[in-house]
Amino acid sequence: MGKYVTLKKSDFNEFIEKLSKIKPVVAPVAKGKKSFAFAEVTTGEEVALQYIPTILPPKKYFMPQKEKILEFDKKKQDWTPILEYSEKIIFGVHTCDLAGIQSLNIVFTTKPKDINYIVRKDKLVIIGLECNNYCDEHASCAVMDNHLPNGGYDLFFTELKNSFMIHVNTQIGDEIIKRIKLFQEAKKQDFQQLDDLRAAKRKIFKDEVKVGHEGLKNLFDKSVKSKVWKDIDSRCVACGNCTNVCPTCYCFDVKDDINLDFNTGARYRVWDSCQNENFAKVAGGESFREDRGSRQLHRFMRKFSYPVEKFSRYFCTGCGRCSRTCMAQINLKETINALVKEKK
Amino acid sequence: MKKVKVAFFDFTCCEGCQLQVANMGEMLLDVLDLIEVVEFREVMSEKSNDYDVAIVEGSITTSHAVERIKKIRKTAKVLIAYGSCAAIGGINGMKNNFKLKEIREYVYQKDAKHFDTIPTHAVHQVVPVDYTVPGCPVYIPEFIQVLKAALSGLPYNVPDNAVCVECKLNENECMFDKGVTCLGPITRAGCNSWCINNGNICYGCRGMVSNPAENGQKDILEKHKISLEWIENKMNMYNKSRELGELK
Repeated sequence: MGKYVTLKKSDFNEFIEKLSKIKPVVAPVAKGKKSFAFAEVTTGEEVALQYIPTILPPKKYFMPQKEKILEFDKKKQDWTPILEYSEKIIFGVHTCDLAGIQSLNIVFTTKPKDINYIVRKDKLVIIGLECNNYCDEHASCAVMDNHLPNGGYDLFFTELKNSFMIHVNTQIGDEIIKRIKLFQEAKKQDFQQLDDLRAAKRKIFKDEVKVGHEGLKNLFDKSVKSKVWKDIDSRCVACGNCTNVCPTCYCFDVKDDINLDFNTGARYRVWDSCQNENFAKVAGGESFREDRGSRQLHRFMRKFSYPVEKFSRYFCTGCGRCSRTCMAQINLKETINALVKEKK
Repeated sequence: MKKVKVAFFDFTCCEGCQLQVANMGEMLLDVLDLIEVVEFREVMSEKSNDYDVAIVEGSITTSHAVERIKKIRKTAKVLIAYGSCAAIGGINGMKNNFKLKEIREYVYQKDAKHFDTIPTHAVHQVVPVDYTVPGCPVYIPEFIQVLKAALSGLPYNVPDNAVCVECKLNENECMFDKGVTCLGPITRAGCNSWCINNGNICYGCRGMVSNPAENGQKDILEKHKISLEWIENKMNMYNKSRELGELK
C-alpha cells in the first residue's frame, strides 16, 4: 500500500513556501477569466487547487516549446551538443497529465533514446493532485482509465475534508516529506475518508462515450473511410491548437539559426503540428495530407490506434484540452460518438 | 566578408517599418558590420544608384510608383518587400473598397485631376519579390531572419500556419474566450503572437494563410455570434489588395 501522510489544509501555504525554498515550484495558476497555466509560485495563495486542465500541459517542462540542442562554429568545424535543463518541482499535476507524462516517457526512452529528454525529466519532481469530481464536460478521463492515480509521481495529494492525504511514492518524495516537517502520519479515519472518496468517484466517473475502453482502437481502425472525417474536414481551420495543447503530441521540427557573424550559430528543436499546412509537404510540393480531414484522422489515429500497436497504450489521456481549445468546436467525445452511431 | 550595399526605399506607407530598424538597439551595430547603407531617407540625405539589396517599404498606388519600382527591381540583385504595405498592400488597400474616381475626388477635391492614382498593389503584384517581411510594423527578429537568409542566399518562407500556433505556445488566454474577436486563426504566424502577448488582438497585418478554410471560419463566427460582414471589414483593413492579381 505504500506510505501515506497527511497535511492540514491550514498548513498548505507554509508547505508551498517551504517547498519553493528547496527548488523552484511551478503550479497551476489562474490566467484570465477561465484559463489556467503552470507557472512559478512561491506561496500557496497563488496556487489554483480547483482548476480545469491548463492551456499547455506540463509537457512544456519535459520538452520545451523551443530547445537549443547544439551550438556550432563553421570556421573551427566545431559543434557542441547542448543540454538545457532546470531543476523544478511541478505541483498539482492531475491524473490525466500524469498519464501524459508517462506516455512521453515511453516515447523518449524507447530507442533511439532521447538523452536531452531523459536528463531533463530526472531533474523534475512531480507532485500529483487528485480530481474529486469532473473538471468540466470535455473530460473523458474515465473511459481512458485515467481518473484514478496510476503512478508516475513522487507525491500524490488528495484533498479530504480538512486535510490532504498524501501518497509517498518515491524516495525523492519521502525526502521532501522529511525535510518540510509539516506532515502527520495518516490515521484510520483518513484512510476511511480516502476510501469513501474513491468509492464516490467510481459512481461519478463513468465512460463518457458510447464505446468502452477496449473498443476504441477497433472503432478508429474501421473509421478510415467514415463520413465523419469529411464533416470534420469542412470545419477544421488547421490552427494547430489541438496538437499544441495535447499532453502526448511530441512531433518537433529542427531548425538551424546562424548568428550575424555568419559563422557561429545554434540548432533548435521546436514543437511542430501535423495540422499545419506544410507538415506533410515533401520536396516537389506534394503533401501527403493535403486536406484537413485526413490530418484530423491522422491525429486521432495517433491517439487511439498507432500507439496501441507500438506501445500497448492509448495516447489520449482524456484531459479534454483538444475539445476545449478547438476554434471550430471539433469535439473528441462527439467525434467518437458519431463514429459509434455510424457503425450501428 | 565584403559589405553588401543596401538601399531603403519607401512608397505609400508611414515609414514606420523603417523606423523599426532604428529601434533594433545594439543588434543594429552587428547588422551594420555586414551591410553598407547607401540610401535611407529617414536617416541620411545621400542617394545612390548602386546597391545590391533593395529594402522596399510601402505599397504601389500611382503609375509613377510603378515606373520607380520597376527601375529599383532592375538595379537590385535582391528585392525585399518590407512591411505589410509592401508585402500585402496593407492599410492602403482600403482604397480599393471604393471606386477609384470617387475616392480620388473625395481625397483631393477640386485638384483631383492633378493626382494620378491606381488601385493599391502589393510590391509582388507589380514586380518579382525575392523576400517578404510582413507586419505592421515588421517584427524585428523576423527581419533579422530574412536579412540573414538574403545575405547567405537561402530562401525564407513566411510561415503558412495560423498565429494561433504561436499564441498557444506562448500560453495566452484565447481572445475568443475573453469575448473578443481576433484574426489569429486566419493570419500567418511569424510574429510570435506579438500583439496578443501584449494584450491586444490580432489585426491580420501579416496577411492570410494560403488555405483559410472558409466553412470552418464561418462556424467559428457563428459560434461567437459575429457577423460575416463585420469580420470581412476587419480582414479588409490589411488584406483588401489580396483580391487583385498581378498588375498588367
